[in-house]
Amino acid sequence: MQLAVNILVLASIYALIACGYVLIYRVSRVLSLAHGELMMLGAYGLYATASLFSGHPWIAIGAAVGLAAAVGVAVYLALMWRMTGESVLAAVLATIALGILLRGAMILAFGTQTQHPLRDLGWQNASLDLGGARISAVALTLVISTVVVYGALALFLRASRWGIRMRAAGQHPLLAAQRGIGLHGIYALAWGLATLTGGLAGMLIAADAGLESTLVIIGLKAFPAALVGGLDSLVGALAGSLIIAAAEVLLIHYVDPLLSEVVPFVVLLVMLVIRPWGLFGTREELDRV
Amino acid sequence: MSGYFRVRYMQDVALLDTRTQKAWFAVFLVFLLAYPFLANALWLDLANQVLLASVGAVALMLLTGYAGQISLGHAGLLAAGAFTAGILFKEFGAPFWVTLPASAAVGALLGLAFGLPSLRLRGLYLAVSTLALHFIVIHAGAEYETRRGYSTGIVIESPIYDARHWYFALLAAAAATVLFSLNLLRSRTGRAWRAIHGREAVAEALGISVPRAKLTAFVVSSAITAMAGCLFAYFRGFVSVEAFSLYLTIQYVAMIIIGGMGSILGAILGTVFVVLFPYTIDAAMDGLGLAGRFSSVIFAVNYAAFGLAMILFLVFEPQGLVGIWRRARNWFLLWPFKQRPAR
Amino acid sequence: MTLLRLEKLEVAYHRVITAVQGVSLEVAKGSIVALLGTNGAGKTTTLRAISGFIGLDDARVSEGAVIYAGERIENLPPHRVTARGVVLVPERNKVFENLSVEENLQAVVPRRGTRFDRERVYQFFPALARLRRREAGYLSGGERQMLAIGSALACAPELLLVDELSQGLAPLLVEDLMRRLQAIRAETGITVLLVEQNAGVALEVADYGYVMENGRIVLDGTPERLRSHQDIQEFYLGGTGARRSYRDVKQYRRSRRWYG
Repeated sequence: MQLAVNILVLASIYALIACGYVLIYRVSRVLSLAHGELMMLGAYGLYATASLFSGHPWIAIGAAVGLAAAVGVAVYLALMWRMTGESVLAAVLATIALGILLRGAMILAFGTQTQHPLRDLGWQNASLDLGGARISAVALTLVISTVVVYGALALFLRASRWGIRMRAAGQHPLLAAQRGIGLHGIYALAWGLATLTGGLAGMLIAADAGLESTLVIIGLKAFPAALVGGLDSLVGALAGSLIIAAAEVLLIHYVDPLLSEVVPFVVLLVMLVIRPWGLFGTREELDRV
Repeated sequence: MSGYFRVRYMQDVALLDTRTQKAWFAVFLVFLLAYPFLANALWLDLANQVLLASVGAVALMLLTGYAGQISLGHAGLLAAGAFTAGILFKEFGAPFWVTLPASAAVGALLGLAFGLPSLRLRGLYLAVSTLALHFIVIHAGAEYETRRGYSTGIVIESPIYDARHWYFALLAAAAATVLFSLNLLRSRTGRAWRAIHGREAVAEALGISVPRAKLTAFVVSSAITAMAGCLFAYFRGFVSVEAFSLYLTIQYVAMIIIGGMGSILGAILGTVFVVLFPYTIDAAMDGLGLAGRFSSVIFAVNYAAFGLAMILFLVFEPQGLVGIWRRARNWFLLWPFKQRPAR
Repeated sequence: MTLLRLEKLEVAYHRVITAVQGVSLEVAKGSIVALLGTNGAGKTTTLRAISGFIGLDDARVSEGAVIYAGERIENLPPHRVTARGVVLVPERNKVFENLSVEENLQAVVPRRGTRFDRERVYQFFPALARLRRREAGYLSGGERQMLAIGSALACAPELLLVDELSQGLAPLLVEDLMRRLQAIRAETGITVLLVEQNAGVALEVADYGYVMENGRIVLDGTPERLRSHQDIQEFYLGGTGARRSYRDVKQYRRSRRWYG
């Protein structure tokens, strides 16, 4: 039972981060390898607003989330917009370079000590009992948040005007432009949403386990989850996250704790060999790149 | 342009053509040989680092710049070569002339593994598969370290100690790599690589076996990279898995991007840039008087500056240093006539 | 009044290959004008030059002008051209396959300052009304073309550019679509520039026609004049019906009557 809870929590973490990868890829065909760093930036954002608005935790959270979204839009406008004409490899390298830049900047701005934003917000991380298994309050919030986020995204993409336009732009950007859809606006929106969800994930992980520089690695491990599910499918991101989380937790428990870093990539490799476009991805995606 | 025409095929393929080129090369050669006697300790060490890194950079340029196969697994291959040397030395006390070919063999085999996905995947997906393989290789290295209790790394005894001796050894290695690559590129294999980079379907139609070309690219590049890793192990005298992070791969990719894709000269220029970069930043910090304030986080400053430099090159100079070099050279060649492209 | 005028338009690819050489044509407001020609004549390039989607293949308008409603629009970015009411129905990738018919229409952002009732599209194309919820990828060729035109109309355009309407469709279907286009023109007063390889069906609905070859306009006139022109008959309309034997093939040596 405890294993099941652990899998659920880890899968939620991966899923919340993976939807960012999927959003950006689906809309602009770019793999944002800066996502881990942006996730950490979100967590540091919470740390900053928690200190700034000490005594008003909800305002701090709201500000941090808003800040994360704004950063995503800013990243698109400042950098990725300029890469829209270039090859996909160049755009991906730009995101890698951005990640490196952000990592250095964050250390310079915030130092290397571990932070505990939850304490700064003035809250406790209670340990709850769920049918015999232990789960922390923040972890439970994380699971619920993931469900809410995915539900909201699904609703947005299926039912709202701009969600439909986002799907359209992802499929045929040229036709979308010909039908009046402003592509730059769509891409900026995608980046904003992706960074919002990623930042939210970062904040929750930091609240649960503390904010330190290894947070970034979790971002990188979530990336196979997105790929295994299919880079252009949100449902796939959920499925991929569950599979990788399950593999990781079970193998750590039954085989070797050291495997935690490499399991996502082994699963990824297996998937790339059997079914490169992922469980729920579309096959045409392969030929696009 | 000048009135120089090539009338024989050998002239077209030759590495050094005109008398001026040969003269300049001779001057360059003299400079290279005299360098260790002219430079101080710091600059000698820098030169050694550049020469060592250039082997790996040229190998990556062959794979990604010429054959067009994107690989993010470079650090994993370097690690494989270094660990082969380390393991053979530690377990069997093997000497250098055994570990180097062994590293090459391991690299070639791994190259096959890294290259197999390329038969099915392209572009981003291929890059991702090489990334996954990188992590697996690093994990294997970490497992070995933990299992055998070398948690701080494996110490290797190097046959060469003196910096000057290292210079000539590394110069020989780098020169051999460059010469080998240039020869390979003007051979059938090199042309096949350029073809598959351009359009795979067309290459296939021309009778080139695309799978064979791809695998050859991976195998050759990985073997050279692993040898570079082996040299790396001896140069540092020490092998540890922490040195072969994703950041190292990015540095090598930066070398070929900043240098300019599709050019051996680009690989070398890029190597010089990337290796010298942290020292330049250090010097700049010293000069600006900020060194004291940031001394504990100097690596973060390097990180940030490096990321920024990469972004600037990607956005403003996609053709890299070679592009700048060619523009400068053309300007001088055409002076005083300025050639404008047709409107 | 003239809504669109091309003056000695020249379009070059990669700065060296001139695909369109000195093309001049006029489209009167509210008319349907056909631009005819075989593959590679430069028709699609001309459409691209008008609609602004020309930079994609490294092409540029190197000379001449595209004048729309009195304003020069050549080399304007595509969203500016679309904002002025020039909408293109492309040859390929004309609908969003993953979206339903209704979603395809919802995705369109109509020109600023206009409103378009989506129901009108279903009035023009009743067959689509039955298929509202169907994914566009599962539509037949004719239905897809209807949706493509419908989604273009949803932009509330003034000038509709249609690229190869008849491509891959059965003749009866093509005739039906052309007639609907005429009906739409009658009801909305929209102007249409029709690029077609199928000269016969295009000339049935057009008010005026131009023939392009090798990047040049070689003939223009009313449909009657064009239909009766011998070269048009031979090269585009299947000949006059008289039997010819291969021994009589001297026509390639005959000097072209185009320029007469």
